[in-house]
Amino acid sequence: MRNEELIRIFMENASKVAAKPIRVEGSNKLNDILDEILANETSVYCPAKTELEKSVIIDVERRVEALENATSSVEEVVAGIAETGSIVVSSANGRALQTSLLPTYHVALLSADNIFASLDEFFKIMGNDLPTNVTFITGPSRTADIELTLTIGVHGPEKVSILVI
Amino acid sequence: MRVQLFATCLVDTFFPETGEAVLKILDHYGVNIVYPREQTCCGKPPNSAGYRKEARQAAKHFISVFDGTDPIVIPSGSCASMVKNHYPDLFKDDPKMFRKAEALARRTFELSQFLVNVLKVHETGFPNGHGKITYHASCQLTRELGARTEPLELLKSIKGAEFVPMNNADRCCGFGGVFMGKMPEISMALADDKVDSIIETNADIVTGCDHGCLMNITDAAKRRNVDFQIKHIATVLAEAL
Amino acid sequence: MKKPGGQSINFRDNARQALQNPTLRRAMRHATETFRNKRNDAIDGIPFEEWREQASELRKSIIGNINGYVDEFAVNATKRGAIVHRAKTAADARDLITAILKDNGAKSIVKSKSMVTEEIHLNKCLADLGFRVIETDLGEYIIQIAGETPSHIIVPAIHRSKEQIGQLFCEKLGCDFSDDPAVLTDTARKLLRQEFLSADAAISGANCYIANTGSIVLFTNEGNGRMVTTLPPLHIVVTSIEKALPSIDDLPLLMRLLPRSATGQVLTSYLSIISGQRMAYSTMDTKRLHIVLLDNGRSEIARGPYWEMLKCIKCGACMNVCPVYGMIGGHAYASTYPGPMGVILSTLLNGLENAHPLLDATTLCGACAEACPVKVPLLKLLYELREMRVAKGYNNTLEGVSMRGFGIAAKNAHIFRTGQASAGALWPLAGILSPVTVNRLPKPVKRTFRRRFS
Repeated sequence: MRNEELIRIFMENASKVAAKPIRVEGSNKLNDILDEILANETSVYCPAKTELEKSVIIDVERRVEALENATSSVEEVVAGIAETGSIVVSSANGRALQTSLLPTYHVALLSADNIFASLDEFFKIMGNDLPTNVTFITGPSRTADIELTLTIGVHGPEKVSILVI
Repeated sequence: MRVQLFATCLVDTFFPETGEAVLKILDHYGVNIVYPREQTCCGKPPNSAGYRKEARQAAKHFISVFDGTDPIVIPSGSCASMVKNHYPDLFKDDPKMFRKAEALARRTFELSQFLVNVLKVHETGFPNGHGKITYHASCQLTRELGARTEPLELLKSIKGAEFVPMNNADRCCGFGGVFMGKMPEISMALADDKVDSIIETNADIVTGCDHGCLMNITDAAKRRNVDFQIKHIATVLAEAL
Repeated sequence: MKKPGGQSINFRDNARQALQNPTLRRAMRHATETFRNKRNDAIDGIPFEEWREQASELRKSIIGNINGYVDEFAVNATKRGAIVHRAKTAADARDLITAILKDNGAKSIVKSKSMVTEEIHLNKCLADLGFRVIETDLGEYIIQIAGETPSHIIVPAIHRSKEQIGQLFCEKLGCDFSDDPAVLTDTARKLLRQEFLSADAAISGANCYIANTGSIVLFTNEGNGRMVTTLPPLHIVVTSIEKALPSIDDLPLLMRLLPRSATGQVLTSYLSIISGQRMAYSTMDTKRLHIVLLDNGRSEIARGPYWEMLKCIKCGACMNVCPVYGMIGGHAYASTYPGPMGVILSTLLNGLENAHPLLDATTLCGACAEACPVKVPLLKLLYELREMRVAKGYNNTLEGVSMRGFGIAAKNAHIFRTGQASAGALWPLAGILSPVTVNRLPKPVKRTFRRRFS
């Protein structure tokens, strides 16, 4: 499948599960978009471990070092799955899985090269030597435990944006 | 063509008019009907309740009464499924009887399946229908025999009548044979739901291929003020000839 | 009939009571209808039948070698630093879990939804021993504070209306009354956030475990499952042996079938694959992972004639389509697992002595078997277990007598006619029919159909 087609399917399916995919054309636009979508956030956590994360600029007043105190987080995720519109986070290289869990707003940075067409394709690349925790995230946290009424945002984020770079 | 008719216990004892309707339809299409007089019951009630030995006794009798090579026509999805699907299973440890049961199963037809798949009567259709007709898809007919389209083909081929689909048409009406006897409260509640679905369609007639279900629905309808009629598909078709 | 010494479930009375509860009936109708529609939408336009067939074959091969996969999993999970325990019985599992908690000095425990822990009645055991156990799945939390058991294996509080839940929260948690699911959810969220951060230990279930990688897999939506498996310093996984997948390559198939069948989702919000001991994000302390694999009779079921029940992946699709379950809800079954799969599994796990009345909780309509994503032959198993009930003498005596008479009569048209004439068409059952049912039947006609041929 052509890369552009893959990105299109990924974004379409991510939208269907109430994640918000945003296409970022060129990494120089990244911070403009982040400024815009994080405008109302009082605190932002960003691990600044990958190259992409290091390029993220967050003003000092809002940037927090402890994840528990952040209302929002920005992090690079390891993969996107077009089939399901999911993003994948992993504990490899000592990464904190809670970055995508504790804040109410999770902003995922996804390199377009890391979008896989199907679940099978992703697992093939992963192999059998899995990191301690691999988590697929498909939209925001949700429940329908009360009269099957969908409620978005339970223990995990109520908003998930995916910046496809 | 010649067929053997298995009328079923319910038709014999409660609904002989359905038997007459079957005769009328088959006769109309030039089919010679043989009614083996030694027929009893297919063995469905003991089979459903877990009485395999008794079910086998009924099955053996059925197999000996309905011998030969003529097709066997049964105006009931659950009885037809008993013969077609459960007889071979009853004799799975008896190779000789198993072969007989399999041969019998192959020439056994539920009425609507016979009319559509063998006689293809829906192609010319039934000339004299009227009113709005809805349809309840009985469980064994739909899921064990897989007759999802045949009854609909027939109903849609009635000229002058309008077919209206029912919501949850293939949801159980609560009859369930022995279930009706053992769990009357749930059975009645399910039949009430079925009546609600029928009322929603605004149909004049509700039909189906199994008198068990229709009997259960009739009882629920009696407890309500409804203005639809409940008729076996054989009766509906015979009236439209 | 009750056998001496046996205590059986009074299903008919339970069902009767459920039918008289209009709130329950409304809730069940709404919930099961919604689930059915969502599932139908979710399997539209995908090669569902093909996947079902693949999954069925896969599950078949797994159950055929179940203890082989348990062994392989134990080796691989141990390599990854997990401590794997095998529990033969429910009591063994409770003892093991209690010992692990005590060894680690854990007092307060957060749980994410696990039907296996319901099966072994873990919460009551831990509460009796003085542990503080908090359920964190919203539905489980609701029924925990209500003092109830789950009535559905996926949505445990499906039997309650939002008004009832609002009232419950008001009484038990001291908050203002609201019947808005979003407000109620938020109340639970705030209360539970502190529990996640302060608990000494976590107990979770697993939707499956992967033999060749030693991983356990959790499908969740709320995020509580991720909280409990990544925050407290000790994590105990309690699962049952049949939930094996041979290889990680088999997981995509389960990912495609389970959420679609359970909730009509393409995938749950979260799917976590946990492989061995983990590192905490802040302190980098090594955390402890214990995995308890429960047998509780499953090895024996796997060797017996009803082994196909173990193919079940616990999605709940069969209960959502079951007309009986949809009418009365899960509590009437008085068993951990309700609905069609529950009738069968309860009979196999608890024995006929206890569960035989549940075998009447089906019209044999077959909707369950049609919905099952791994093709468990539920309808066939229901027929077969009814046969076993008769063979083992747990049938109604009067029914047995009627059926024997019927068997003899069915061989002779003359006797059959006589029987029918005196009792109506359902005559083999006449003995066991209550007056309620007899009055619901039409009256036999004077001139039977067969007489026209005489």
